[in-house]
Amino acid sequence: MAVEEYWAPVSLPAALEHLRGGDVTILAGGTDLMPQSHAGRVTFKRGLMNIRRVPGLHTIERDGDGVRIGALCTIGELLRDPLVQEHFGILAEACDHFASDQLRNAATIGGNVCNASPAGDTLVPLLVLDAEAELASKPNGSVETRGVPLAEFFVGPGKTVRAPNELLCAIRLPLPPAGFVGRFFKFGTRPALDIAAIAIGFGGVLSGNTLTGARVAFGAVAPVPMRAPRTEAAVEGAALDAAAIARIAAIARDEVRPIDDVRASAWYRRELVFNMTKRMLDDVAQA
Amino acid sequence: MSLKREIGFVLNGVRTRATVPVEMSTLAMLREVVGLTGTKYACGEGECGACTIIVDGLSTCACLMFAVDCEDRTLTTIEGLARDPLGVKLEQAFVEFGAVQCGFCTPGMVVQARQWLEAHPHPSRDEIRRAIEGNLCRCTGYVKIVDAIAKVAREDA
Amino acid sequence: MKIFEKESLIGKRIAKLDAPEKASGKTRYVHDLDLPGQLYARILRSTRVHARIKHIDVSKARALPGVHAVLTAADVPYQRPLGVGKDQLPLKGDKVRSRRDEIAAVAADSEEIAAAALALIEVEYEDLPPVTDPSEALKPGAPVIHDEKVQPSPPHDALKPGTPGDAEAHRHNVAMTFDYAQGDVAVGEAESDVVVDDWFRLHYVTHCCMGVSGVIAEFDPSGNLTLHSNTQVPFLHKREFAEILGMDPGRIRIIQPPIGGGFGSKLDIYPFEPICVFLAKATDRPVKLVFSREEEFVASPTRQPVLLRLRSGAKKDGTLTFRVCETLHDNGAYTSWGATTPFVMMQTISSLYRVPHCKYHTTAVYTNNPYAGSFRGYGNLQATFAVEQHMDQLAEALGLDPLEMRLRNAQDPGETTPQGMHFKTCGLKECLTTAAAASHWRDKHRAARAAQQAPGRYKRGVGMASMLHVGGGAKIYPSDGCGTILKIDDFAHLTLMTGASEIGQGSETVLAQLVCEELGIPLDAVTVVNNDTDITPWDVGVHASRTTFIGGNSAIGAARKAKAKILAAAARVTGLPEAELELRAGHIVRTGSGEAIMNLAKLLRSLHFSDKAELVMTTHYYEPPSQHQDKAFKGDVSAAYAWATQVVEVEVDTETGLVRLVKVTGAHDVGRVLNRLGIEGQIEGGIVMGQGYAITEELIVEDGVVRNPGFRDYKLVTAPEIPEMDIHFIETMDGEGPQGAKGVGEAPAICIAAAIANAICNATGVRIRELPFTPEKVYRALHRASVPAGTT
Repeated sequence: MAVEEYWAPVSLPAALEHLRGGDVTILAGGTDLMPQSHAGRVTFKRGLMNIRRVPGLHTIERDGDGVRIGALCTIGELLRDPLVQEHFGILAEACDHFASDQLRNAATIGGNVCNASPAGDTLVPLLVLDAEAELASKPNGSVETRGVPLAEFFVGPGKTVRAPNELLCAIRLPLPPAGFVGRFFKFGTRPALDIAAIAIGFGGVLSGNTLTGARVAFGAVAPVPMRAPRTEAAVEGAALDAAAIARIAAIARDEVRPIDDVRASAWYRRELVFNMTKRMLDDVAQA
Repeated sequence: MSLKREIGFVLNGVRTRATVPVEMSTLAMLREVVGLTGTKYACGEGECGACTIIVDGLSTCACLMFAVDCEDRTLTTIEGLARDPLGVKLEQAFVEFGAVQCGFCTPGMVVQARQWLEAHPHPSRDEIRRAIEGNLCRCTGYVKIVDAIAKVAREDA
Repeated sequence: MKIFEKESLIGKRIAKLDAPEKASGKTRYVHDLDLPGQLYARILRSTRVHARIKHIDVSKARALPGVHAVLTAADVPYQRPLGVGKDQLPLKGDKVRSRRDEIAAVAADSEEIAAAALALIEVEYEDLPPVTDPSEALKPGAPVIHDEKVQPSPPHDALKPGTPGDAEAHRHNVAMTFDYAQGDVAVGEAESDVVVDDWFRLHYVTHCCMGVSGVIAEFDPSGNLTLHSNTQVPFLHKREFAEILGMDPGRIRIIQPPIGGGFGSKLDIYPFEPICVFLAKATDRPVKLVFSREEEFVASPTRQPVLLRLRSGAKKDGTLTFRVCETLHDNGAYTSWGATTPFVMMQTISSLYRVPHCKYHTTAVYTNNPYAGSFRGYGNLQATFAVEQHMDQLAEALGLDPLEMRLRNAQDPGETTPQGMHFKTCGLKECLTTAAAASHWRDKHRAARAAQQAPGRYKRGVGMASMLHVGGGAKIYPSDGCGTILKIDDFAHLTLMTGASEIGQGSETVLAQLVCEELGIPLDAVTVVNNDTDITPWDVGVHASRTTFIGGNSAIGAARKAKAKILAAAARVTGLPEAELELRAGHIVRTGSGEAIMNLAKLLRSLHFSDKAELVMTTHYYEPPSQHQDKAFKGDVSAAYAWATQVVEVEVDTETGLVRLVKVTGAHDVGRVLNRLGIEGQIEGGIVMGQGYAITEELIVEDGVVRNPGFRDYKLVTAPEIPEMDIHFIETMDGEGPQGAKGVGEAPAICIAAAIANAICNATGVRIRELPFTPEKVYRALHRASVPAGTT
């Protein structure tokens, strides 16, 4: 299907108005849309809408007890942003592992979230950081917004709860509590330009050698980037000695649901989850 | 056959207008509509860096960018570095240090290095290697490319 | 009075002549060329792995506005078989035997229209059972892949031994076989105190040249054909195209635009080139055909995958006794150069280190898989992977030091191997000792061995491997020569017309360097013409690491003839004896003092504008003093041989299986370093190519389908992953080589995988005999006990 209409709206209401009509492909950075459409994995809808000029989508700023990151912020901007570096270290780390300098300059966090790849680079840290997606629409003539916790946002590979008439405007991250530590690990057979064989994210408030408010997320081991509630429950408040760590790592290995594909087998992914979970918890416990 | 759009942008310092199909990539626009062939197609999916150009001061892969997204933006290609002091220094260093064999990856390497060096004037060799992690080369093994970039960085410092 | 000292260019760091143009983006590769009126071509490829073609309907495609021609086999009844085995037609009409098979081709006003036309072509297939495992293909009752009634055409010239199989062999899916023997392996086995016997599996990788395949074909009104082609063998292709097209070879001109990488991928003719010619003929317009990257992965040749069994023996003092090697080569659907890798493999099996008794056999089997071509190293990576692992295994079994064992069996200069290779110069021992010393191999090897069972996540180890390869061409064609035409104009500007092609390796620069060394002129006074078969003399092509050696000797020959002519004229003009005259810095000078007597350009002008007017124009055809092998594959096939030893250091992460290549220390017997910058670049690039082969690259072919046709999932080494490199040159000063040099283009890629295998074993105690060493494969090998049954 060829594109029949192209818009580059300069206001949010105008953008949402186009979306209301339905049948629109959204163009942000284009780093997923272009190769996917050329490979035939995505067909263009009737309308193509470039949202680059919509105001309010490209800032990173404090917002009450959190930080609001506009959907058009590039991975490179996140990496360099002082607020992100100070409060969301594991997000900055994931951004540093993202593809290449050229792609970091163009890919947007909104695109990464809406593309909803089970291996999406920023998604594991965002889950650990309790991110919320801010969606806007104009179903009845005026702009409405709703927030969806990212843990509920992904429903399948490439599928989210975003309705066709909704635009992802921002990701909101609450400031982590005092004492919060986070860890991020991404593995692939090449440091860059790689879609993770697995990714692991941990977070929680460290007190002695226990974590409370534990968050655990995995990438590339399930149809969606996943929070791991059983692993979180095992971590929560546990004294992280060697025995506990081994037990938690085993729970994590059983909780993930990886598949076999050209990049890795399910068995190996589980082994990595086990080994790297142990490593990361060891590291946290000794922090 | 497909919807076309007329766009205006600055290319290598010159105000330019072009009419492009909306699905066309910036790489295809540069090569086929504008006629500048220095920017190369080697994969078309942002994995190899051969199509690296500079857009509004940042390097990016032209194959991933929609041509219509060039509207009101400032682009520089390898051809536009002909009179850029840092670009010229890099090109000369690539020649002097043997960083060019078949040369197909070279324009992308030079553009990427130029833009990155401007933002990171005192890199270590490890940092230089990371700077070009998105640029594939099959001939040189990267060693002399890193040598050339390091030399320009030292000189500029 | 001006004095010019003798200044040699040999061994200096010389910038590549075309580098400034390439660095500024001005070089026009075939993709960048547009001929007026050109059309754009695309090929429709099979969607089946093995099927009969029942019907092709091109009517809708032909009717699409902007389409000038749609061709199928039925439209080109004059097409003739191509390739090494002459077992495929460019356009397939009866059946398809692999996923890349070409069924139809379109020429249109634009790429978009051509692509749209392809989508309108309807093909009706009758599926046939596919066979994608060579051992399955050999079983009685297996589907026959080449069941054509027509006898194959006469075999390719180069293949007098190891000829393509006849119809009877094809009935059993055998494409080719090779057999070689020296001595008596039964005797060798009886003399052995230890024998090791293992299977090795070498995988598919592909060239991944940064410039994808492309060609432009154009007929002139008289029916002469011009091809803008990235071939590495333009003169051979002239003749082969003529056969495929039923044309007079004299009416074919091949122009070679600068190439975006070769590495052996462009040594055979692939269907897309003749198909482009058919379209040019059908439309009377120039036709340009360029692959997409995905098409490049799917339809380009691969490296030859090999299943290899090696049995090696030695006496208790470490002397090698025998090697028996059998291989199964997956020949894919059609025969290309991959099937002939046994020529090279048997050299390594028989002659890498001194082996009195040897037996070698290859069966190359047709399957419905992609077919392999030639790829830098040409079978030697695969053979060395096995041989050098066995050297370590034999040493281990005998309790001998692996370096000492290699030195014990390393040949010396002057030896002739049982296969007939005469090692006039041989730097193998120096390579071994130099690489070992520079890398602190012995200490590190011992320390790693002792620490194998120690706890710890990361294990380091070192591994050593050597290689033997031809260094002075390879006489597999009727001629292994190269021609040069040289002229110097009135301004002492020299034009060197050489048959030797440039594929990014810097041949044009080294040839100019050699000529300038003879004639004492600066490099910027030289123009090299090397890319037009209407202008340059014959050269067999870029392969077998031969270009510097043979193209170099050819250029030197022409230069020396020019020098003789110039000095004779200078002697006449000055009244001084020739022996007292030299050429330096664009002048005729007195030998000894260096005193300038006359400006060279002035002399040339006086020669030209005189009563007996003369221009300096010379020619030379250099044929190396090597031999064709006899029917038993014996003979001194190259004018020189080259060696290298590489010691690699790896770090294995036992929790992930990731193998990090930390350092490569290499010692290369190159005869003599000519262009130091160029040779370093070749070695650095070869090391990284070998690193990819060993660790990161794998073309995943399942059921005949390439599963990872893109850089996202086919992993080339990137800049942050390269090892530290310490490269040493051993200059054995080959008597025949140009200024003593030997060929080196393939050498650095050849023994890396073997060295890495040995290093992983040193680090972990685990030996892996399959490539690539992906994290998962290494992890599984390290934790063999815990792999659950039924897991893939």
